[in-house]
Amino acid sequence: MRIFSLILLAYLVAWPASAAELARFDSGSLAKIEARYAGKPFILSMWSVNWCGHCIEELTLLGKLAKTDKHLPLVLVSVDSPEDSVVIQKTLHKLGLAQAEAWVFNDPIPERLRASIDPSWQGDLPRSYLYDKAHQRQAVAGVLNEAKLRSWLKQ
Amino acid sequence: MFAWLAFPAIAMAHEHGHMSEGVTSRGMGKRARPALAVSATIDSKNQLWLAKVENQKILVLHSADNGQHFSSPVAVNAEPENIGAEGENRPKIAVTRNGTLHLTWTLLLPQPYTGEIRYSRSIDGGKTFSAPITLNDDKRLTSHRFDALISDGGDKLAVVWLDGRDRDAAKEKGETFSGVSVYMARSDDGGVSFHANRKLAEHTCECCRTALTWTADGPVALWRNLYGTNTRDFALANPDSGKVRRLADDEWSIDACPHHGGWIATGDNDTLHAVWYTQGKNRQGLFYRRVKGDRMSAPMAFGNPLAQAGHATVAAEGNIVLIAWREFDGQSYGAMTLLSKDGGVIWSEPRRIATTDDAADYPLPLIHNGQMHVVWNTLREGVRVIRLD
Repeated sequence: MRIFSLILLAYLVAWPASAAELARFDSGSLAKIEARYAGKPFILSMWSVNWCGHCIEELTLLGKLAKTDKHLPLVLVSVDSPEDSVVIQKTLHKLGLAQAEAWVFNDPIPERLRASIDPSWQGDLPRSYLYDKAHQRQAVAGVLNEAKLRSWLKQ
Repeated sequence: MFAWLAFPAIAMAHEHGHMSEGVTSRGMGKRARPALAVSATIDSKNQLWLAKVENQKILVLHSADNGQHFSSPVAVNAEPENIGAEGENRPKIAVTRNGTLHLTWTLLLPQPYTGEIRYSRSIDGGKTFSAPITLNDDKRLTSHRFDALISDGGDKLAVVWLDGRDRDAAKEKGETFSGVSVYMARSDDGGVSFHANRKLAEHTCECCRTALTWTADGPVALWRNLYGTNTRDFALANPDSGKVRRLADDEWSIDACPHHGGWIATGDNDTLHAVWYTQGKNRQGLFYRRVKGDRMSAPMAFGNPLAQAGHATVAAEGNIVLIAWREFDGQSYGAMTLLSKDGGVIWSEPRRIATTDDAADYPLPLIHNGQMHVVWNTLREGVRVIRLD
């Protein structure tokens, strides 16, 4: 196992530098994201590389959509911590999301960041918010439904 | 789930010199984030025993003065292991009437969502610990995580955990399998040996802690089950009788990981006291209910949902029932308690017994010989043992 870990880690360290850097998500980050997308719709999607198997299902779907839509307005936020950056990036790359805008929670108090996104969100994952042009947003608990997401994207 | 594919071996030779402490991964390297999740118990001599994780070792300490002073820590595992000790993962410690210490924990492996359930014991009062053994006996690289441990106070032990072996076996046959399974390991000789693993249930939620208590009818286990395709409500099981029942009809149907389990304790006359979390159609938030035989009290809501109240645990002794949970008010975490002295019928007002402004574990209630304490490990203050009246 240890040798396998070394191989794995060495491979991860050797990952090409072209992979997008993970941005650090703090309690002011969502406001900045929203400002950047002012007047435009986008998908905000939270996940964890450490414990959320369903998140992989959702990221697989998003990766599939990103493959056909190079301008998919997607913002991914991992609720793990910056120490998990390597494995987060590896996972995103594997799922076809290496170029997606990706953030990682950066606060010893994740509740603070959850509250900055939605005070009523208790940490279940995956969790997404579909922002329309006016930034009226729709919360989605659990894995996004492909048909619903595709029809939302057409709007 | 997904598997890590074989990586080109050439990557190994020339890059490992770049590994630094800043680059970490499950299974190796130091985590910069401290492992705050601890466990505590009290022995027949009123000594408080604490298990915590530092630098990939479980450290066991004891205190004769309710946590004011602790002994020097003794490491359980000689070889460093990536021990799950945050969120819903924590090392477990139990002590028997004769002072034998039992510990279980989840060893997190580098492949996502995989792990092993580990066990060690001490028969010399925590001076030395047996070499850790792996309790899951399937030899599969899969999810074995979210262990719970209970002792009957004598030579009987039960350990349960969430296990991916049946899911993986089904997938290998091209079949679908929702969720994972719950498995159990039992010992009747104080941890000298364990019986073969036994399956308690298939199709359970994948990433919530499990819980165990001991009753006159043997161990009782609690886990977040899968009802129907994706209704994630709790199941209460007595493995000895084979009886499994739903704790509550919350109807939380969601393709998601709540990462938020429940807890149970046994009081007078084998009354079970259960606490859990749901965002179901029928109720949302933290709840408590008593279970006595086939009768269950109405679910009682507690905690402030606007303060992300969550991760409650419960302790019981006789007619004393103590619930602890954590809230976050936007600035600080609070350790919250509810107390009943009549077996869970009448409850005190919620009390915020301690706060912290930095990272924090969940508060853990303890009752022993009528004395009530809450153990709370926080980054800034360290382990606090707070006495309640």
